[in-house]
Amino acid sequence: MEQSGATTLLQGAVQDVASDVVSALRGGDHVRVSGAEAVDGPGGSLALAAVRVLGADLLLPHVLFRTPPAPETLTVFRETVEAFPPRADAAPAVMWSHWAMRRTLRRLDPSQAGSPGGDAFAEPDARWLDEATWQVLTHQLAVLAPLAVPGEDCAVARVARRRTVDVARGFVRAVRRRDWPQAAGAGRWLTLLDGVPDALGLQTGLDFVELMGGTDPRVALQAQAARVVRAAGALV
Amino acid sequence: MPSTDKAFEDITGVRSVDIEAALDPAEPDGVYRDSRECAALALLSADTKLLLSPPTPRPKKG
Repeated sequence: MEQSGATTLLQGAVQDVASDVVSALRGGDHVRVSGAEAVDGPGGSLALAAVRVLGADLLLPHVLFRTPPAPETLTVFRETVEAFPPRADAAPAVMWSHWAMRRTLRRLDPSQAGSPGGDAFAEPDARWLDEATWQVLTHQLAVLAPLAVPGEDCAVARVARRRTVDVARGFVRAVRRRDWPQAAGAGRWLTLLDGVPDALGLQTGLDFVELMGGTDPRVALQAQAARVVRAAGALV
Repeated sequence: MPSTDKAFEDITGVRSVDIEAALDPAEPDGVYRDSRECAALALLSADTKLLLSPPTPRPKKG
């Protein structure tokens, strides 16, 4: 399908931001957001859109390494959360992506400390995943990979825990279909799940996915996130 | 659509619907790997057999 110029522009910006995150995951440095130096200009606005698409993963290095983000990065992240609230009838993936960003903001933004929980921070509905086939489940989990964070619980993570074998099947299917983004996202989830079949060869599979699809920074981000999580030995 | 969305679209040309599509993409069609890639995986994987099992049948053409 032919893409619009705006879509291509957005995808390029998302890849730039994902590259920044991969660099931080590899080097343990602060995340910098390419193009966000002038938030009021077109480049800055595009950077905000790219951050919205990348979602909570923008600050993943700071969550995994327990380091505070740079103030300017946190500002961009906060402005993105505020600028792109999901519509009431938005798809579950859009709702959950925004919820994941708010969760990360509560965790890392000192100004959010003591912000109200309860209904204001209620989780979106996750029942659509309970009824999903294992193929759809894996696709949706890969899209929602920013929720795959050690030590953080949510309804999506609970579904993933209940359906580990389905996610493993989906991982294999994604590799066979050469769908590297989906394989990388599913692999990141599996790194956090208990009861993954040994025969899957998850670590080797993820190395293969990174070898084949790692030129896409979004694939590299998931693979590197899985590597960091695995090194920490964490389960959700 | 909130007015901030409209202003954003005017500046960047990126519409809210583009962002939502990126956040909730449809699954792309599968592309099946070739024998060179199988060989690469075999070199990487000494102990694992699952990913090397016979490929899923391709859809019949026509």
